[in-house]
Amino acid sequence: MYQAIVFLPLIGAIIAGFFGRWIGDRGAQLVTCSLLVVSALLSIIAFFDVALGHGGARIELFTWFDSGDFAASWALRIDTLTAVMLVVVTGVSSLVHIYSVGYMSHDTSIPRFMSYLSLFTFAMLMLVTADNFVQLFFGWEGVGLASYLLIGFWYKKPSANAAAIKAFLVNRVGDFGFALGIFAVFVVFGSLSFDTVFANAPEFVGRNFLFLGQQVDILTTICILLFIGAMGKSAQLGLHTWLPDAMEGPTPVSALIHAATMVTAGVFMVCRCSPLFELSPTALTFVTFIGATTAFFAATVGVAQNDIKRVIAYSTCSQLGYMFFAAGVSAYGAAIFHLFTHAFFKALLFLGAGSVIHAMSDEQDMRNMGGIRKMIPFTYVMMLVGTLALTGVPFFAGFYSKDMIIESAFAAHTDIGEYAFVLGVAAAFLTAFYSWRLIFMTFHGKPRASEAVIHHVHESPAVMTVPLAILAAGAVGAGYLFYDYFVGHHYEEFWRGSLYLAGENVLEAAHHVPLWVKLLPLVMSVSGFALAWALYIKAPDIPGRLAKMHEPIYKFLLNKWYFDEIYDFLLVRPAKYLGLVLWKKGDGETIDGFGPDGVSAVVLDLSRRARKLQSGYLYHYAFAMLIGVAAIATWFMVMGG
Amino acid sequence: MTPALIPSLGPAVPEILLAVAAMALLMVGVFRGNGASNLVGWLSVAALGVAAVLTLGLPGERVLTFSNMFVVDGFARFVKVMVLMSSALAIIMSMNWLDRENINRFEYPLLVLLAALGMAMMVSANDLISLYVGLELQSLSLYVLAAIRRDSAVSTEAGIKYFVLGALASGMLLYGSSLIYGFTGTTNFDALATLFGREGYSASIGLIFGIVFLAAGLAFKVSAVPFHMWTPDVYEGAPTPVTAFFAVAPKIAALALFSRIVLGPFAEMIDQWRQIIVFLAIASMVLGAVAAIVQTNIKRLMAYSSIGHVGYALVGLAAGTEEGVRGLLIYLAIYLAMNVGAFICILAMRRKDGMTEEIRDLAGLAQTRPGMAAALAIFMFSLAGIPPLAGFFGKFYVFVAAVNAGLVGLAVIGVIASVIGAYYYLRIVKIMYFDEPAAEFEAPMSRELGIVVTAAAVFTVLFVLYPSPILDSAAVAAAALVP
Amino acid sequence: MEIGLAHYLTVAAILFTLGVFGIFLNRKNVIVILMSVELMLLAVNINLVAFSSYLGDLVGQVFAMFILTVAAGEAAIGLAILVVFFRNRGTIHVEDINAMKG
Repeated sequence: MYQAIVFLPLIGAIIAGFFGRWIGDRGAQLVTCSLLVVSALLSIIAFFDVALGHGGARIELFTWFDSGDFAASWALRIDTLTAVMLVVVTGVSSLVHIYSVGYMSHDTSIPRFMSYLSLFTFAMLMLVTADNFVQLFFGWEGVGLASYLLIGFWYKKPSANAAAIKAFLVNRVGDFGFALGIFAVFVVFGSLSFDTVFANAPEFVGRNFLFLGQQVDILTTICILLFIGAMGKSAQLGLHTWLPDAMEGPTPVSALIHAATMVTAGVFMVCRCSPLFELSPTALTFVTFIGATTAFFAATVGVAQNDIKRVIAYSTCSQLGYMFFAAGVSAYGAAIFHLFTHAFFKALLFLGAGSVIHAMSDEQDMRNMGGIRKMIPFTYVMMLVGTLALTGVPFFAGFYSKDMIIESAFAAHTDIGEYAFVLGVAAAFLTAFYSWRLIFMTFHGKPRASEAVIHHVHESPAVMTVPLAILAAGAVGAGYLFYDYFVGHHYEEFWRGSLYLAGENVLEAAHHVPLWVKLLPLVMSVSGFALAWALYIKAPDIPGRLAKMHEPIYKFLLNKWYFDEIYDFLLVRPAKYLGLVLWKKGDGETIDGFGPDGVSAVVLDLSRRARKLQSGYLYHYAFAMLIGVAAIATWFMVMGG
Repeated sequence: MTPALIPSLGPAVPEILLAVAAMALLMVGVFRGNGASNLVGWLSVAALGVAAVLTLGLPGERVLTFSNMFVVDGFARFVKVMVLMSSALAIIMSMNWLDRENINRFEYPLLVLLAALGMAMMVSANDLISLYVGLELQSLSLYVLAAIRRDSAVSTEAGIKYFVLGALASGMLLYGSSLIYGFTGTTNFDALATLFGREGYSASIGLIFGIVFLAAGLAFKVSAVPFHMWTPDVYEGAPTPVTAFFAVAPKIAALALFSRIVLGPFAEMIDQWRQIIVFLAIASMVLGAVAAIVQTNIKRLMAYSSIGHVGYALVGLAAGTEEGVRGLLIYLAIYLAMNVGAFICILAMRRKDGMTEEIRDLAGLAQTRPGMAAALAIFMFSLAGIPPLAGFFGKFYVFVAAVNAGLVGLAVIGVIASVIGAYYYLRIVKIMYFDEPAAEFEAPMSRELGIVVTAAAVFTVLFVLYPSPILDSAAVAAAALVP
Repeated sequence: MEIGLAHYLTVAAILFTLGVFGIFLNRKNVIVILMSVELMLLAVNINLVAFSSYLGDLVGQVFAMFILTVAAGEAAIGLAILVVFFRNRGTIHVEDINAMKG
């Protein structure tokens, strides 16, 4: 069964990718969607079996490498953590597949798109079922590749290509750290299997090894290196710049990859490696710091964006920050819980945004929207549900998970925990503000779009709205239904050791925080809503005046804290200049001149000479033989005698 | 030790069978005329097949017979099976083709049969006399085969060039043999080995000259540079199935003979030999890579390719170790498959107005004949030595052997040459896949050839997965040659 | 003057050299090349017989017999190929045998 879950998407990808031309658009959609749905149903069965029942397995597929000390096998590691991820990945993926049938109906290369989606799903499943670091890395790079392909899906658009390359490059920085981390694991433990590494990790607490010429703590170094990988994949502060640009891809892709699944791979990895991270308080502090800062930073940027997808992208970035600082304060259950609920409501928001964009004839700028709630009521309701969940309104999914995270940060009673708590609460306020701002700008007020566009606004077909409805159901109920399992009373029997804790269970403490802590996020959420209402419904001219009055701040936020500009100045331009010099002077003139070009010219010249030697005359041939004999004889006389 | 009046015939049964079959089929051909040529052809294939099976059935250990002039050991068996198989394939490849070209005469399979007999003798030679007789039987048959298209100017010219230069090479080889005989008093390989193995033996100048001439004669047969000059002309001029035959069986037999001589009687003088072989190997690899680049005729290109490949095979021999011989044998086995496959594709290059041999005629083959283009592309990639195809492993094993024998420089030059050589193989692939289609070829290849080419392609592609049968038997064969 | 082994070998060497030179210095006639080939083989035979007698070993003479036999076949084949070539081209000039080159 587990094999089927993992490999059905691959089969779908292969069929749609290689035989798309024969089976046609409809065939490719049918094959990939049905295989994904089967995979999703099996995943749900697996979830009940493993997480709620007491199943679990380690399935050896076959040996991959066995070279000297280095052995790795393909194996599926099925525990609760994996089962949760399986449900998230296959569930969202199958809905996105179906949604894409409608969303991409006007595209010219549907089989390719469906194939990429399935390929991505396969790689993601490989990642979450990994039994060792090599397999994890395989899935890690696989999702990176699929993400690159999908961001650049409309390869005729230069901006899409640029965004794809940017995503790939920025991820490369993270992957470099990740790979180094894996190498370090192998050097230290002599094995890459999770079981072996985790079992032996406690022996290495407090020991040092030489890294970059310095004596450093082994586990801290490994954890931070691994986390750098997670920062790249999960778009954390510093390596986040690719995520907003990745919105160049088709919207279903944004929903699947850049909201629900791939970007959460980093969180998953940190939780999977909790036995390592737990042993290094320094690394955990670092994780918390990055996570909390990202949560706040991305939320501030989200306030000033005008592109509907970019707002949601920064929101994703911010929510990922929440997950990380939850992991950082050892509330892994809360992190995964938020990952779980976030997948529903964020995919819902993205697909809803896609529906809006679809309705508005591919308009993405919220300044050109407004007042369309009557025209697309279903989408409006769906977006509303997503927003309620995201802003943590009671009884919606986000309420349970996000509040749990903030409470855990408070309950950690550490300096970094307090830092995270403060920023988390502030981010909750901003989250509410930008989310409602999005709703108000898009659906309320007066229509700002042109007459023709407004005239054309229409509700999306059922194939797009049904997935929305299912996701909305998740966004409403996922928190309430699973609260006890993920972070509540059934914590122990639910996770059954797949999340490791070194000390006290911070979640336990989180249940007993003061009431004001519990209420604070809700208060923030409501005040965020109120402010948004005041600014965008009550007095819509204020935001513009505010922006004028505080232009530096507005510009600062609009330009995303100038991260791209700083990177451009510090890294991109020097690198480009260096590349230009090396290319023109170094490569073009020196290496090519003496290297490939020079050599090929010499070879061609030699070739022509050799051809001339072959004159066609018998006596020349015989003479060549004689010269050969004479040469050999002379050689013998001189050398050996 | 008096030799028995009637020598033990057992070890030579395959050769005797071939000889008898050749005579008998000659009778069949003479009495039934050219109408029987297909019958003779299939019977020859059958004879070769039976001989191969008999060869496999021979005992594994080293057996001498005919006054120690004839030896059968693991090495001989391995090589003979390859030689007999490729000869049989050469006949199968030719039959259809000869029919279409109206030169389907019963002599053709007979000559291949006789050449195969000669090659089997060469491989089993344990004496300068049996070496010479085997070599000449093979060479004389090949001269005629090259010129078998009597009404073609290029075919007969190929025959003349091959004959004259071949005779010159035979003369040198004989002159060398006579000197070796004179300065050692024996022509027997075992006796020579014992003699050279003696403590403090130093070769006289006359003997050295003898060895040089012998080496020159052998180098001609394997077409190593600078004794290669006949190869391009003969390959181009000879009818294509003959070229296919030339490119495989005689090369394998001659290289085997070369190895047997170098590592048998003259094993003690390996240091001196090594210099010659290294020189031949480098010159062959480089010339094979460089000169092929400007060729426009595919048969001529394959000629230079075969020169290059002989160079790589000689790298294994230059190592002079058991590992090197093993590499050489693996190389030859892989070379056999690749070349047979490539030549079958070349044989299929036929238009309404006859055969074409120009590389540009392959343009756009991927569109007009995708199967054939894919097969040819596989063989070209493999000949270029691109992993994970079989050709890569062939090169890999000889280079590794050379490095282990301390010949790092030779291996480096070999790698560089194969990089240069990859250019012209890949150019063919490029022409087939990226150029505008030229006029389409006539009807696809016959069923037998389709099977053979598929088998060769499958072997080339899948060698990486299951190489052990070849590796193991080559190891056994090499162990038989290098004590 | 006693005629010794060295003399025979010298004669053979000269004959052999003549044969070789005949092959690549001759620009006229292919028949001459065939003769040169025979000359080389004869030189070898002289060598072998001389060695055989000097060593008191019969193998050399046996070898010579083999060479004579094969040489006959070789000459026949050479002439046959020459004849078909002549039929095609109407010439047996060495310089005309260069339809293929490069």
